[in-house]
Amino acid sequence: MIGLVGLNHKTSPLAVRERLFAGCQEQMNLLGELKAIDGVMEILHLSTCNRVELVASLEDAPQALIALESFLARYGGLTDEEAKACLYFYRDREAIRHLFRVTSSLDSLVMGEAQILGQVKDAYRQALAQNATGVVLNRLMHRAFRAAKRVRTETGIAANPVSVSFAAVELAKKIFGTLAGRKILIIGAGEMAELTCTHLVGNGAEDITVVNRSPAQARLLAEKFHGAARGLDELDEVLCDVDIVISSTGAPTYVVTGEMVRRCLRKRKNRLLFLVDIAVPRDIDPAADDLENVYLYNIDHLQDIVDENIKNRRREAMKAEAIIEEEVANYINWLKELEAVPTIVSLRSKAESIVRAEMEKASSWMQSLENADREKVEALVHSIVNKVLHAPVAVMKEESAEFASQDIVAAARQLFRLDD
Amino acid sequence: MISVEGILFAAALFCCALATAGYLISLLVRRVALAKISTWILAAGFMLLTLNLLVAAVHWTGWSSFGSRHFLSIYAWVIAGIYLGLQLKTKTRLLGAFIAPFILLFLIAAAGQGADRNLVPSQWQGGLTTLHLVLAIAGEALFVLASAAGAMLLIQNNLLKNKKPGPLGRLLPSLGDLDQINHFGLLWGFPLLTLGMIGGAVYAAFVWGGSWPADPKVVWSFAVWVFYGFLLHQRLAIGWKGSRMAVLSCLGLIVFLLSALGIRFCLATVHNFI
Repeated sequence: MIGLVGLNHKTSPLAVRERLFAGCQEQMNLLGELKAIDGVMEILHLSTCNRVELVASLEDAPQALIALESFLARYGGLTDEEAKACLYFYRDREAIRHLFRVTSSLDSLVMGEAQILGQVKDAYRQALAQNATGVVLNRLMHRAFRAAKRVRTETGIAANPVSVSFAAVELAKKIFGTLAGRKILIIGAGEMAELTCTHLVGNGAEDITVVNRSPAQARLLAEKFHGAARGLDELDEVLCDVDIVISSTGAPTYVVTGEMVRRCLRKRKNRLLFLVDIAVPRDIDPAADDLENVYLYNIDHLQDIVDENIKNRRREAMKAEAIIEEEVANYINWLKELEAVPTIVSLRSKAESIVRAEMEKASSWMQSLENADREKVEALVHSIVNKVLHAPVAVMKEESAEFASQDIVAAARQLFRLDD
Repeated sequence: MISVEGILFAAALFCCALATAGYLISLLVRRVALAKISTWILAAGFMLLTLNLLVAAVHWTGWSSFGSRHFLSIYAWVIAGIYLGLQLKTKTRLLGAFIAPFILLFLIAAAGQGADRNLVPSQWQGGLTTLHLVLAIAGEALFVLASAAGAMLLIQNNLLKNKKPGPLGRLLPSLGDLDQINHFGLLWGFPLLTLGMIGGAVYAAFVWGGSWPADPKVVWSFAVWVFYGFLLHQRLAIGWKGSRMAVLSCLGLIVFLLSALGIRFCLATVHNFI
């Protein structure tokens, strides 16, 4: 069976996750120790800032799960209460579903984020390198990646930005097309402005100018982006030249007035101008938005877009859950068959070898038969063997569909002496 | 009688109708993937139409075999060709939702025409007429493209100004890209139309002497030409951009289409093609 033990950002406070993360990190041969636990056949260890989880293929389920739990508690230095409150256990279907949801980023703090898939892949690569996985987990992980890929491509869960700074970048792309070569002006020195600027630069924008009341601070920020620092008195002039303005000063009145923007439009030859005002109180006069080819977004506009996108992601998550269910069912079908299939195969091959041996023995007297009669005898023998085997094979398949074939399979192996 | 030419034309018409439906549905359900498939279908239709025109060219027996169907097919062919060429350079698949209906319209109009009707009276046939026809068609096709991009720009502009980019905004190309297509359409459409009109005028001066400017088609075309010239001037010299240009281009196209239809059905003209 498949088991999963772990904790995440929903079940545990940061302090506990930190301790466990550090504890596991220090341990050099973590997978080796985990593999050594009785009943653990295959194991994978996933550790990110939001979760620590162990996924395993287990022989003796309840015992092994308890062993894994105490392993985590020991490494994280968790008290009994903490372990009880923070750790979760899943078996079989629930474990598979949980892993698929984690990999598809449905269980993440920011639903639809792209990092987790890479982190799970890394964890799998490590386990592979240390030979900690086998048939069951290898297939499980490939199916998890497949589910994640389907969720990404078939739903819009990761389509739209859910942070204000990324929303601003998306808007800039919708206005300008490509951001390559676009000029950016930062007014003030807010953290959010800096973050937005970093994203814009990541998307190809260059040539950054910083305007600040304090020249020293302007220079400091400008250096970060290899840009130029200008004084507040030069704002008019700079405004004529740039494509994107991000403003976040603490000024009590408008820093950029509607009149200033209107004046520069003519000099700009009506080039598109994207104004992002993330200051409260506002820095840019809303009147600027009435001008042609000027697009002004303040913090509320951006937040509205983000809220809408989060709502969309939740809607898309419903579709994603359906995909997950489908993939879980696929994997379970495979897993179920895996339990019974080797026994069915060896049962059939044993019967086959008996038939062959007996035919061999009978070949001397069968030579006297006509060809047609000999074929009839052979057909009869095969038919009898098949009829006899039909019932046990069918029962094993049925039981495996309920995850309950272990006893029957063991009995069949014993009854037919398949392990001799 | 079913000819190879007829089959090719019908297949091209079918592809174009399918692509148009695909584009419009992709706009409705907001999936770019469908628009991409439609682009391929349209490309297939374009190839079929090209073959159709090639077959017609092979069977060319002089001007008497050049009918209204060919005239309208070439129209559709030029628009489709320009649009598909543009798709190689920019990723504006959704533009098809605005262009494909035009192509389909021209093809349907072409389908309604017999391939046998003699379009250009025998006494007017010659090199200058061909030049006039081809350049005027190409120029007008580029204006159609400019206007379609303009229409999309207006929608996108409206969404962005109202702070509601939403799923439709995400689907439509960016303002910058659309404005560039509008610019491209005007920049190349205008000189082509100009040359086409000069070709027609020079020819008419030789053949008709003084009476030709009174033809209503000529008067209207001249008006349209002046209008587009004005647009291009404002764009290049004054720096008009974005929504204002888009509104004017769309207006220009509507006036152009109305005048073409009005002249066809209400007035007598020597440009009695469709």
